[in-house]
Amino acid sequence: MEKQIYILVVEDELEVMDALVNDLQSFETYFPVETANSSEEAKKVVEQIYYGGNEIGLILCDHVLPGQNGVDFLIELHADVLKHDSKKVLVTGQAGLEDTIHAINSADLDHYIAKPWTKEQLDSVVVKQLTDYVIEEKLNPMRFMAILDAVRLAEYMREHKLSDY
Amino acid sequence: MQNARYDRKQILKFVGAAIEESPELRMLVDSFEPGDVFFRQGEKITHLYLMLEGEVVLKHKREDGTTLELITLSAGHFAGLVAFTTGNHSLTTGIAQKPCRALCIRQDEFDRYMNDHSKLKHPLQRLMLSNMADRFMTNVRLESQMNALNQELEIESNQLKDAFQKLEESQQRMVHQEKMATLGELVAGFAHEVNNPAAALLRSSEMLKENFQDSNDGTAKSMIFEYGLHSEPLGSSEIRERMLYIQKTFPWVKERALVRKLAQMPDLALELVQKNKKKIPIDELIQQFEAGKFIHNIQVASERITNLVKSLKSYSRQDNNDWDMIDIRDGIKDTILILSNRLKYLSLQLDLKEIPKTCAKMGELNQVWTNILVNACDVLQDGGEIKIRTKSEGDYKIVVEIADNGPGIPEEVLPRIFESNFTTKNQGAKFGLGLGLAISNEIIRQHGGFIKCMNRESGGAKFQIILPVKNCV
Repeated sequence: MEKQIYILVVEDELEVMDALVNDLQSFETYFPVETANSSEEAKKVVEQIYYGGNEIGLILCDHVLPGQNGVDFLIELHADVLKHDSKKVLVTGQAGLEDTIHAINSADLDHYIAKPWTKEQLDSVVVKQLTDYVIEEKLNPMRFMAILDAVRLAEYMREHKLSDY
Repeated sequence: MQNARYDRKQILKFVGAAIEESPELRMLVDSFEPGDVFFRQGEKITHLYLMLEGEVVLKHKREDGTTLELITLSAGHFAGLVAFTTGNHSLTTGIAQKPCRALCIRQDEFDRYMNDHSKLKHPLQRLMLSNMADRFMTNVRLESQMNALNQELEIESNQLKDAFQKLEESQQRMVHQEKMATLGELVAGFAHEVNNPAAALLRSSEMLKENFQDSNDGTAKSMIFEYGLHSEPLGSSEIRERMLYIQKTFPWVKERALVRKLAQMPDLALELVQKNKKKIPIDELIQQFEAGKFIHNIQVASERITNLVKSLKSYSRQDNNDWDMIDIRDGIKDTILILSNRLKYLSLQLDLKEIPKTCAKMGELNQVWTNILVNACDVLQDGGEIKIRTKSEGDYKIVVEIADNGPGIPEEVLPRIFESNFTTKNQGAKFGLGLGLAISNEIIRQHGGFIKCMNRESGGAKFQIILPVKNCV
């Protein structure tokens, strides 16, 4: 079985988590979604995913969380070689400018989504980030043509020989 | 002094007679007109002058250019005595004030005259001694006068400092009040604007719910909708567990998104799904559940908005920040709601015992609670503990206690925390709702109460606010 690329959502408010996961369901056939209500829980989930030989393509993370906050969690994750390339997106209504700058500089934050989000906005961010991830990690683009940015993936495939995968 | 002066007169008479008798000494007597200079400040003294008649004034020029009249010497006094005996430059300038006669003895010949005129030696020595004693006593008197003046000066300077501090405090208070008034206006406008969409949300979700329920025909679909309507969201670890369970009990459901949705259904709903799996496609049933759940979520969220706005309004109390008979606990509850974001991960223990209503300004007291709670939040880690207690003593006194289990307040800081401009926070700290314990202190004082702060035996700080129970007039 090919290795799975996960989307991880970290959010402590259950109703908000529910809404986020619902908005992500169209991706779930290709990218299984995992959830955590705190950074501590998220770390365990991350370990399990990597233990199973799979990896995380995208993390959507709230900032205000119980215990370690979202920005610090992302920074910690970014320092880990295995998770260094996972795309990191802050989804928050509460991170101040300072926290955000800190996240961009130290966790190489890839995107910032302000709450409340719209479905279109969330879709386009997820598509862009996961397409980046597939290309950067040299994954087989054919697998994701239906759900990600097909134009970019096709272009990428033209430039590289199919035998590369 | 009287004796010394009398003594001096007698001696002078004797000395005068001795001078008359000796032609050599007579030659040494000079006359001076008013304005004549005996010696100048900063110069070497050549002669010692024994005043026989008239007056000479000693003046001292200070570094800042002003001139000070030090002393007036009359008959029987020596002029140039200090410089003469010490051999230093003169500290003063001696100027004749009245026509003077003085015995002028050259410094290098003083000892010879003393020896030649043995009759003079003893009286002159006595005169010199009495002169020295005079000067010394003057010195002592001046010293004590100066001391007294210095003390007065210090008192005055302290009073000025106090006045300045009070001025600064009242200025800060006014700026703060202005800020709160502006905030209140903003809040009132904001609350009004937010209430409208919140009401629309609440009403729409209610009508949506009724629409669904009207078509309730007792079938599995409508029942599952009801389950959704009454469902509570599950935590992510619980969902993970239930997803494993669903994979076992619904092995034909392959899509992960559907597994997750089933995992959120209560067991009774799952039974219904199992029972009807042949008759109704599973996605339709899940859709029903989701519809109920989302309507429920909308209701919960819009109720939260409405409550927050209500608290925000009564917290800032711009509609009415006058003296009013209030239950202080209402304000404490509003403050807690407003700060729920900060208090979210702390353990909050409330022990709000029945207390009598009292005449107070709700909005201002809320600032006090805010201040103390925000300070506590700043020092507490997640999982820290805050206890709020109210109680009354008799029907005259209300006590509010706010305690935390943080690091406490350093003993050296404790006496100063109610001073204005005192902070332990780093410069550039974020603008908070709380604007200093000095203002809290002032607010409580205006209510006729007082505020105390102490460290608890078990660790952490405790603020105690004592307010009188009184009626509004």
